[in-house]
Amino acid sequence: MNPYLAVAALVFVVSLMFTLPLVPALVELRRKSDARPLNVVQQNSGEIRHFANSFRTYLKGLEPIMQRCVAAGTTATASLPDGEEYVVLGRADKPLVLALQQRDATHPVVIAAGLDLIVPPEATFSKDIYAGGQFTGGDQNNYRAILGEKDVHLGASSRAMRWVHAVGEFTADLGCRLYGRISSDSLIRLHADCTFLRLNAPRIEIGRVAISGDAVPSNSIIPANTGSGMSRRFLHDGDFEVQSGQVITNDIVIRGKLHIHSGARICGSVKSVKDMALEDGVSVEGSLISAGKMRIGPHCAIHGPVVAERELAIATGARCGTLEHPTTVSAPLIEVEEGVAVFGTLWAREHGQVVISQ
Amino acid sequence: MIYVLYIIVFVICVYTGRHYWFTLNRLFGFQRHPYIDIDTADWPPVTVLVAAHNEEKVIAHILDALMTVKYPEDKMLVIPVNDRSTDRTREIIDKFVQDFPGRIQPFHRVEGKGGKAAALKDAMQLVNTEVILIFDADYIPGAGLIKQLVAPFFDLEVGGVMGRVVPLNAGTNLLTRLLDLERSGGYQVDQQARMNLRLVPQHGGTVAGVRLSALREVGGWNENSLTEDTDLTYRLLLNGWKTVYQNRSECYEEVPEVWPVRIKQIMRWAKGHNQAMMAYGPRLLLGKHRATLRERIDGTLLLGVYAMAPITLVGWALALGVFYQGVAPLHGVIALLSLTAYAALGNLAAFFEIAAAARLDGTRKRISLLPFLILGFGVSIFSVSRAAVSQVSDLVTGAEFHWDKTERFRKVL
Repeated sequence: MNPYLAVAALVFVVSLMFTLPLVPALVELRRKSDARPLNVVQQNSGEIRHFANSFRTYLKGLEPIMQRCVAAGTTATASLPDGEEYVVLGRADKPLVLALQQRDATHPVVIAAGLDLIVPPEATFSKDIYAGGQFTGGDQNNYRAILGEKDVHLGASSRAMRWVHAVGEFTADLGCRLYGRISSDSLIRLHADCTFLRLNAPRIEIGRVAISGDAVPSNSIIPANTGSGMSRRFLHDGDFEVQSGQVITNDIVIRGKLHIHSGARICGSVKSVKDMALEDGVSVEGSLISAGKMRIGPHCAIHGPVVAERELAIATGARCGTLEHPTTVSAPLIEVEEGVAVFGTLWAREHGQVVISQ
Repeated sequence: MIYVLYIIVFVICVYTGRHYWFTLNRLFGFQRHPYIDIDTADWPPVTVLVAAHNEEKVIAHILDALMTVKYPEDKMLVIPVNDRSTDRTREIIDKFVQDFPGRIQPFHRVEGKGGKAAALKDAMQLVNTEVILIFDADYIPGAGLIKQLVAPFFDLEVGGVMGRVVPLNAGTNLLTRLLDLERSGGYQVDQQARMNLRLVPQHGGTVAGVRLSALREVGGWNENSLTEDTDLTYRLLLNGWKTVYQNRSECYEEVPEVWPVRIKQIMRWAKGHNQAMMAYGPRLLLGKHRATLRERIDGTLLLGVYAMAPITLVGWALALGVFYQGVAPLHGVIALLSLTAYAALGNLAAFFEIAAAARLDGTRKRISLLPFLILGFGVSIFSVSRAAVSQVSDLVTGAEFHWDKTERFRKVL
């Protein structure tokens, strides 16, 4: 082989090897097909009612039809501007008829009722539902989303796939599966065997709850000593126990396991790097955070946010937050017994379960 | 010479292993976002410091954004820290103070030592809340960001919080696109993996927060540091406080659009980081304090990332040297050096971390720009090495460090 040709071929092959990986890069640089900044939703404040509010806005165009149907007691069907089919119901004093009469039927239309709405059992609603009045669902129904301007009641063993918002009270009977965001402007009540992910309401009751007002003094969580800027935390390496009836006036950070015995009172916040257990009647005025598992015993009262990085179990009679000072209770896995009240948000990132109190 | 080369190759391999560990953790490990779900709480009072030095191009954007965030108005005070600006920054701030009475308290600094840390230190006289958030003036916080950055402070172990930085001007040119990729790797993978593994997430000094009591306990802002954020990260760690990273607390920033500005920026970072390495490295690794063993090791490696650039250059030179001397190094050592060199510079964002980050961000096509990172890598390795050399010569001559403000590219409103 001609040595010049060989050198030229070598140079060519090497150049090609060097250039080839750059071809897609050069094409992308020129076309800028993926050059926009990452999508940071500037207006997203994590508002749980976001979808409900958007749906209400979306339905604004149906208001005149709804008013007409309510006035005349009639039903209307047509399509929204985006092609979505809808049914507007003017009356709902008995379980819906028309297309909803068959069991196991699937209803792929947006349903908007100007007044109360009662739906029969064992049906699947694959589009969003709006109820201008109370919403009452039969047992074993499947819903995509519901917006109720008054109370919303789901029958036993029903499933809500995306979200439900009730301006009034929200109630889920035995064994409901609540997969998305459930919110209410007044009260959420879940019965035994329900599962949930994200709940938000001024008051969330699990089963029957006897509310006896604020169980905890309502101090600010990060206290207003803030001006002094001096930490008042007690930091301990290793496991730690707070004895029965003991009162601790500091914040405590435990770099091990923490066990708080019954009746103890912590006038600050608590953090443990490993598992944490609270026995009967413990009260914590600040936050309660565990990097492991957490168990909150019966009749405990926690004022601030409760976060467990692994699992959280809450026993009957426990209270988290108050009406005046709502809070967040959060963990990937949450097991909550009947008789628990949470004021604010109860958020199980992976799975939340209502269990019968022992 | 050959033994020095072996040591360098070993150190580079350690960094490479660390990057693989982080990337695999991010892709397949347990992800920690413990505070992100706190959306309802008795929110504490918070002071938002906005560091501004000749920021007429951008200051209105951030003040505008801060006035619309979802945080109780009576519990949030914004303090623009106007550090000796000679442009219209003061005028713009004062207009906002008028328009939003009681919500903005300006701090106009007309004299004193230069630099962000010095300005923040002086502004502390106005701060009386336990939670302080810090933004540079070119950032644009979203509606939910303040709550997200405040939430970790309910954890009494947390002294500092860091959010994620996202370049707004990513598509401007090749440099901004490369910086966008680097930021993605640095935050989406590196910082979040350190959070997952309970190592040492780094406080970035912007889109960040600090607890007042922790700050006071560690001695306040260090005005002699070129990177007050790195400095703060280590002082918090040495005093038993944690810095946590919130990957979902994203905030837009502006990245440099021209190479000279980028070079200046990275040289300042390198100098500041090396400063912190000298000040805290030995104590962190060997001293008596509350950091865990894994924090000691990771913290030390993190302190060393900018030192890796000159070390890599020395490694390459030694490899050439031993080759021409006819010394046969241990089998495969040179190949190992070549293989790991690109991965070694953690802070310049190793390629596979960036690829993993782009995958996690769902930005598929920008991965094709990865080969161009060789350019950014080349510029960085020489700039960082130059910074290290100049730092050593400064030490010898006793010259003082000086602060270089990063130029902005947005149009004046």
